[in-house]
Amino acid sequence: MRLVPKEIESLWTLFTGPVVWAAHFLVCYVGGAVYCARREWLGFGFEWVRIGVGAATAVALALIVAAAWLSWRQWGFGTEDPPHDAATAHDRRSFQGFATLLLSGLSFVAVVYTALPVLMIAECNP
Amino acid sequence: MRARASAAFGLAVPAIATAACSGPQSALDPHGVEAQAVATLFWWMTLAGALIWCAVIGALVYAGRRRRRVFSARAAGRIVLWAGAVTPSVLLLILLGYGLALMPDLRPASALTANDRLHVEVVGEQFWWRVIYHRPDGPPVVSANEVRLPVGTRVAFSLKSADVIHAFWIPQLGGKMDMIPGRTNRFSLQATRAGTFRGPCTEFCGPSHALMAFAAVAMDEEAFAGWLEREAGPAVRTEGPGLDAFLANGCGACHTIRGTPADGTIGPDLTHLGARKTLAAGALPNTEAAIARFVAAPEAVKPGARMPAFGMLPEREIAAIAAYLAGLE
Amino acid sequence: MSAGAPHEDDEAGAARRRAQEERLRRVWDNPKGWRYWTAVNNTEVGLWYTAMAFAFMLFAGVLALMMRVQLAVPDNDFLSADLFNQAFTLHGTVMMFLFAVPVFEAVAITILPQMLGARDLPFPRLSAFGFWCFVIGGVFVCGSIFFGAAPDTGWFMYPPLSTDHEYAGIGADIWLLGLSFIEVASIAAAVELIVGVLKCRPPGMRINLTPLYGWYVLVVAGMILFAFPPLIAGDILFELERMFDWPFFDPARGGDPILWQHLFWIFGHPEVYIIFLPAIALLAMIVPTFAQRPIIGYSWIVLAAVGTGFLSFGLWVHHMFTTGLPSISLGFFSAASEAVAIPTGVQIFVFLATLLAGRVVSSVPMLFAGGALAIFVIGGLTGVMVALAPFDWQAHDTYFVVAHLHYTLIGGMLFPTFAGLYYFYPMIGGRMLSERLGRIGFWLMFVGFNVAFFPMHLSGLRGMPRRVFTYPEELGLTVLNMVSTVGAFVFAAGVLVIVWAVVRPKGGEPYARRNPWNAGTLEWLIEMPGENWGVRSVPIIESRYPLWEQENLMRDVDAGLYYLPDAEEGRRETLVTSVLDGKPIQCLRVPGPAYVTIVAAAALGSVFIFMTYKWWLAALAGGIVATAAILYWLWTGTAEIPEKPEKDIGRGVSLPLYVSGPRSVGWWAMFITMVGDGTALASLLFGYFFYWTVHPDFTDAAAGPGTAWPSAAVALTAAAWAAMLAARALNRRGRAGTMRLALLAAMALAVLGAAAGLAGPWTHGMQPTTHTYPAIVWTLVIWIAVHGAVGVVMQAYCVARSLAGRLTREHDIDLENVVLYWHFMLVSAVLTFATVGFFPLAT
Repeated sequence: MRLVPKEIESLWTLFTGPVVWAAHFLVCYVGGAVYCARREWLGFGFEWVRIGVGAATAVALALIVAAAWLSWRQWGFGTEDPPHDAATAHDRRSFQGFATLLLSGLSFVAVVYTALPVLMIAECNP
Repeated sequence: MRARASAAFGLAVPAIATAACSGPQSALDPHGVEAQAVATLFWWMTLAGALIWCAVIGALVYAGRRRRRVFSARAAGRIVLWAGAVTPSVLLLILLGYGLALMPDLRPASALTANDRLHVEVVGEQFWWRVIYHRPDGPPVVSANEVRLPVGTRVAFSLKSADVIHAFWIPQLGGKMDMIPGRTNRFSLQATRAGTFRGPCTEFCGPSHALMAFAAVAMDEEAFAGWLEREAGPAVRTEGPGLDAFLANGCGACHTIRGTPADGTIGPDLTHLGARKTLAAGALPNTEAAIARFVAAPEAVKPGARMPAFGMLPEREIAAIAAYLAGLE
Repeated sequence: MSAGAPHEDDEAGAARRRAQEERLRRVWDNPKGWRYWTAVNNTEVGLWYTAMAFAFMLFAGVLALMMRVQLAVPDNDFLSADLFNQAFTLHGTVMMFLFAVPVFEAVAITILPQMLGARDLPFPRLSAFGFWCFVIGGVFVCGSIFFGAAPDTGWFMYPPLSTDHEYAGIGADIWLLGLSFIEVASIAAAVELIVGVLKCRPPGMRINLTPLYGWYVLVVAGMILFAFPPLIAGDILFELERMFDWPFFDPARGGDPILWQHLFWIFGHPEVYIIFLPAIALLAMIVPTFAQRPIIGYSWIVLAAVGTGFLSFGLWVHHMFTTGLPSISLGFFSAASEAVAIPTGVQIFVFLATLLAGRVVSSVPMLFAGGALAIFVIGGLTGVMVALAPFDWQAHDTYFVVAHLHYTLIGGMLFPTFAGLYYFYPMIGGRMLSERLGRIGFWLMFVGFNVAFFPMHLSGLRGMPRRVFTYPEELGLTVLNMVSTVGAFVFAAGVLVIVWAVVRPKGGEPYARRNPWNAGTLEWLIEMPGENWGVRSVPIIESRYPLWEQENLMRDVDAGLYYLPDAEEGRRETLVTSVLDGKPIQCLRVPGPAYVTIVAAAALGSVFIFMTYKWWLAALAGGIVATAAILYWLWTGTAEIPEKPEKDIGRGVSLPLYVSGPRSVGWWAMFITMVGDGTALASLLFGYFFYWTVHPDFTDAAAGPGTAWPSAAVALTAAAWAAMLAARALNRRGRAGTMRLALLAAMALAVLGAAAGLAGPWTHGMQPTTHTYPAIVWTLVIWIAVHGAVGVVMQAYCVARSLAGRLTREHDIDLENVVLYWHFMLVSAVLTFATVGFFPLAT
């Protein structure tokens, strides 16, 4: 199934992972901050913040894994090693795939880091 | 720190280093739960950091040698992957997890909600500290420029500001917290050992930011209870020429001395001034001469201080005021 | 596609080449005499820019030494508290805003075109304009200390201390307005550099062959676009409070000082990486050269640059760990602050791996690079420490942080920049810098730095707060401080040695040989001494290290065998290529020397300076002159209709001279500018919602702008936008007359839209000085109204261009760009009016 074409002719795809991280981070931070600022008005408990962050994290990780898989495919599933420095469209695409894959990896780790606080912290305080 | 750290690490922290870490304002000379935990964390992180630094710089120096093995591109690539990406990710995850887990332990929210214990309100003002002890039994006790607390119990602080942003910090007990106009920041500290410490203002607040400090005293539970009882009482001397001069020159419009007609609330409460460890929020030693000097020319001691100068008064009168205030133990 | 041997070895060929060179030399020549300052060549502007940035650094360094003298012994009175506070405020401000960021722009403007085999950047006059803005703003800010009027509330300018007129006098206004002006210049440079990297690479230089420096520049310029606008938004709120008493940060009227801290640090933390990455980028060029091999892990560097760029926007609250935010918020930012160490570590290991896989050639640039790593790694490790909230509670605002930040910035920025200075000097000066002075300077700097700053870790943890003009002896900090002061002077001596190496007269010394370091990248094609044209002909690139891997490249470039070897029409020309594959798409004519950039910068500068002194009429006059100058500049210097549609650029390739829409550089510049502009609006909207979170009723039970007027404003703005689309469609059909009518209709609708927006708060009697709610609503609708007014000027400009025959069916750059502006305008208006009109209903 090829929903997304294999040869993506755009520089933007490179940023998929980091953009997902940024969105996830914003959702977590804004959600937590708004909850703690307006918790009386909102009227539900902190466990919903934890659940919300957990759900956002699951979605974000799924998106990053999908982006990673697409870039892995673009890279040729690791059939060729870097440096991808030939003056060909093929190497240019392989480079894009590999760099996107690396960024997806970093974004995955960063999303896991961002989710960690809700495991350790169970209240707004103050 | 002292012996504890050495024992905890099973390492010989050199005696010089230990001595170099002490001091009335040293976070590495902990007397509180939070300061202790953070100092230990610091030493562990420093040890790990030193090892990492040596490894990285060792590799750099090795790379600069003329006679050495030249790595293949593949091997060098593996260094980037494993040493540059994977190892730091794992180490940082562990460190982050530890740091996050520490937060609720060091400053439990429960300490802020309990109504049955002492809580201390501190208001930062240019350039001194208004300190109010809220007791579960009895009216609040107003003091200034000195914070006392009992050893062994967690004391909640609520921190406010009357003008600009200040920050409240007792390094030997724990971390700092800002005092922000329009907000009340709350946190708690727990002293583990008795002692006298120094707390500086740590947010830049104007010309005399450097001269805004307070003494912090951790006392045994009973001693503290006794002290608070005395602090709640009126001044020990409620008459005399010094007090007369004090009142005649309008000092009472800004300062309170309980038990006398002086009931101003603009400046620091002076009811037990003589018993305090320092004068003018840590700027001067608490002596009669220093009081006289400050009364005559506050601006010369603390640039930007709000108190007007009384240098135009006869020296005799200033001396009388100083003698009176110094005697307010 | 190798160029092969020169075809013409005969005399006729040589004469032809000499004639080409003569024409190129004349076209790219700089004006003589005092007109020299109207030059816009990237080499000239870059040189001035770099020199000026270093001059500001030395100035701020002297301030630092004065502070170190004051702190050498306890209870010292070398400086008064007042002067000390001015000194530390200016030291931080100047180092950050007038050295670290501008020197990135300066170096990039200088070396990037050469690195990309381009003759110049796409908007040379914009570079010159940015430089003049920088000089005017910088001198204004720095000069204030000689009148005792310098800002004195810290480079972070926290209200309410900085909004207190009694304490923070005109210095605060000088800071806010002077720096806002310089921020404009930074954003201009960001636009220039993004377009430069994406669109001005040489033919064949696909994205995977782009020099690493280009990647870093791209990322950093992108970061500027998202980091500076929040500060500009903050500056606007701040000045509105200082000048007109709108209470954004005054808690008595619904304000909150914390909002400023958010806006400042949303700028302030990415700023650290905006400073750090370009310097690391220099190392990414230097390390392969001295390892004499291609970099190991090119893609990893891209990962690190892009990853750092993103993550750096999730760190700002770690400057606010002690402000009493909920611990869950601290947790998120602590996590991101730890995560950013990963890409940073990757960069360091890429350099190490490259060195280990090569044979390292010893040199002064490598010495500085090694010193940079040794220092920076310590700064990185202490950064990992302070990223943990509990440790930061102790370390925050102490000398530990002073030590940490200087280890990161001096290790991560200053040492790499000095390495770059030594490395790239021959490109600019044609000669090598003294190896001996370099080594002496390095060791003085390295030892002096560590002696000065290492003890500060300890003095901080032993309780020395930042920004104190003195400290009592009882703290036991005397020895540590004295050691720091001695180290600071040793460090300064090292800096002076390097400065001497650069400025000492070198007239009698021979020129360096070409490509003196035997580097692999394109900038070393330059001749010694360099010609103003940059590259003799624009080569076809097939490698990351063309000078190493493409045989005879230098010979063929010099022989003019590649593109644009001539300037037949006497015009300055460079190539525009496609983003991914570097396919040539346009021969771009860039403008030459001009007064108008200086006039525009001076006029715009005068607006900010007059506003500082509240000379409103003078400011207004300055604004009119600035607008007129900018319009004149656009009219005469952009979207010129060429005398022929295409030009033969050599090797049988013909390229259009005029392209519009997304293929043109101007469209990209507009797009990028509007992204930055949108970020500023987003920051203001953040302020609106921030007030909602801090108050139970953020409207303070006051009337809002209602829903009718905001709805009308959206409808009218949308109609204006639709009229713009119609104008574009009509123009494409060649119906110039109707197109002008559509533009006029769009102007009328835009004016009505702006008026309807303002009518909301006006008719509901909202008083901005009473509370933050009316103040922020007014700020938002005025923001949109001002943008509407700018949009109207653009529409009028299109009408005028059309009447003058400069905007036609085929030559529609102006119209395309203005339509793009209106896309952003529509989105801005919808977001703003939906917020101010309908959000209060939801609460």
